[in-house]
Amino acid sequence: MTDLAFSEHFIKADGFNIRYLEAGSGLPLICIHGAGGLRVSEALHILAHKHRVLAFELPGFGASEPNLRSQSVLDLAKTMNRAIEALGVSSYSLWGNSFGARVVLNMALEQPDMVKTMILLAPVAIRSTPRKHQGEPTPDQLYAHPERLGAMTPLSSDILEKQRQLLQRLKSPDRDADLEARMANLTIPSLILFGTRDEIMPMENGRIYKELMPKSNLMLIYDAAHALDADRPEAVAEVVGDFLERQDSFIVSQADGILHQ
Amino acid sequence: MKVSLFCNTRYTGPAPQGVWPVPGDSYSPEIAVSSMNRTLDQMRLGDEVGFDWLTVAEHHFAPFSMSPNPNVLAGALTQVAKRAKIALLGPDIPVLNPVRVAEEIAMLDTISGGRIVAGLMRGTPNEYVTYNINPSESRGRFQEALHLIKACWTEPQPFGWQGRYYQHRTISIWPRPIQQPHPPIYMSAATPESGEFAAENRIGIGFAFTTVHRAAAAATYYRQQAELHGWTPSPDHVIYRLAMHCTDTDEEGIEDLIQASTQATVGLSMTNKALAKAVAESSYYGRDAENQIARAKSRGEIKERIENAQVLVGTPKTIIAQIKRIKDILGPGILDLSIGAQMGQKTLKSIEMFGQKVLPEIHAL
Repeated sequence: MTDLAFSEHFIKADGFNIRYLEAGSGLPLICIHGAGGLRVSEALHILAHKHRVLAFELPGFGASEPNLRSQSVLDLAKTMNRAIEALGVSSYSLWGNSFGARVVLNMALEQPDMVKTMILLAPVAIRSTPRKHQGEPTPDQLYAHPERLGAMTPLSSDILEKQRQLLQRLKSPDRDADLEARMANLTIPSLILFGTRDEIMPMENGRIYKELMPKSNLMLIYDAAHALDADRPEAVAEVVGDFLERQDSFIVSQADGILHQ
Repeated sequence: MKVSLFCNTRYTGPAPQGVWPVPGDSYSPEIAVSSMNRTLDQMRLGDEVGFDWLTVAEHHFAPFSMSPNPNVLAGALTQVAKRAKIALLGPDIPVLNPVRVAEEIAMLDTISGGRIVAGLMRGTPNEYVTYNINPSESRGRFQEALHLIKACWTEPQPFGWQGRYYQHRTISIWPRPIQQPHPPIYMSAATPESGEFAAENRIGIGFAFTTVHRAAAAATYYRQQAELHGWTPSPDHVIYRLAMHCTDTDEEGIEDLIQASTQATVGLSMTNKALAKAVAESSYYGRDAENQIARAKSRGEIKERIENAQVLVGTPKTIIAQIKRIKDILGPGILDLSIGAQMGQKTLKSIEMFGQKVLPEIHAL
């Protein structure tokens, strides 16, 4: 499969000039990155062969201006919904990594009718397990297989500090009763993925999403850590691709079992 | 120290030797029925005379052990044995459906009232031929299957599994284990790779087809690895399997073993050279291959087998001394004793005498 190139674009919303990377065609998949900033994983490259992938950079991340206005994750979610509206996209799926999954949850709760499916990867929205590590996550906490990553340019200290201040301001409680009560009413077909080797957000947290949203689907990605779509891109792309296409019917296998005719 | 009784479900009639798989054209259903009943009788007696566990194991396509699914035999044992734990040592998980294994063990744990010990094994090389699985995938399949089985037992909500070898879109097993969070897990740790995995995942280990000195070296490595992962295994984390034949005199025991050794030793992969060669050329044995292949062949004369602690033989007094030596060298918490000589009433007497005269002393060790 040849790799599709992502092209860079900007869209204005709420006074922010928001950067996004786009590739592919088909139903739009709106992607929101984690606390480390925008990185288009190999899984998204694979998904771009069948979907229009739009990977946004949240205002205040990367090279964007410092974001001093968003006071909560909900504020940020509303801004992102306006950005999607400005693009003229009216029906789409949402994908959120880690912190981005919390943004995505809020986006979906604000505009549930527009969202076809929701994909949460190692979401940082509910935490019932004690923190094993403090401070900024290290590469060996984020990745079970750092050897599978290409060369990575480390972010400058200025960008890291800017992002850290924003994240500090947007910090949310481990258990947010209001958010959880609203989640219980979500009827969007949802796939929630956790890595079996995730020490930042251990897979035991996955069952709480399933308790709150009984119709959601919990998927464990074996041998993946927090950055599960980087650790096992083909595995993540395969199950997510199937879910985007068939939603809750994806539990029924369509794999060909015949070896030879 | 605890003791398990392992009554191999050997077919007692004549069968082709020196070949695997073993042809079934001389198979007698009547002999097979009596062979199965003999195993159940021995296990029943073992339960009555105080053995702590009863062991079942998985082997295929040979009269050596007519237990291709140990969980089926364990199901029968739940009704035969009223007291002893039932040790599955075990299903060969890389060649099986892990979700099915998790379901069967949970079912057994429920039927037995929480008496199941869950040994999860890689299996001998020939088992990879049984279900047409590449032995080079053995370790990867084993590790993933073990994690998946644990998830089946412990995840309270339906979950999917996107693995390397196994994929399931939704799993939520019923029944679930009685023992919480799950029955105790054991695995073989003869290779360094297995010792490292067992230590990292806090799993008990077992040794079979080896010598006490080889087992001691592997157990030391496992204990060192466990320390690196911040825990100390207890004696109960180590099982050691060897044969046992208990008699009125030491001479009688040796004579019985000599007689028993002329019985057919049919069934494992060493009888199929093409199979043994192909498995040795795969990555099945891992980085310690030479040592592992030598281990599988380490079965010598009776004197040597006693010296290597591959068999306990003689009077209760002699056997107690032999066990104390194993304790000093290896420090296992559980001995798993296979039948040293299949000799009808003599074998029942051996089990009974061991239960009455050896077990009380060994329990106190």
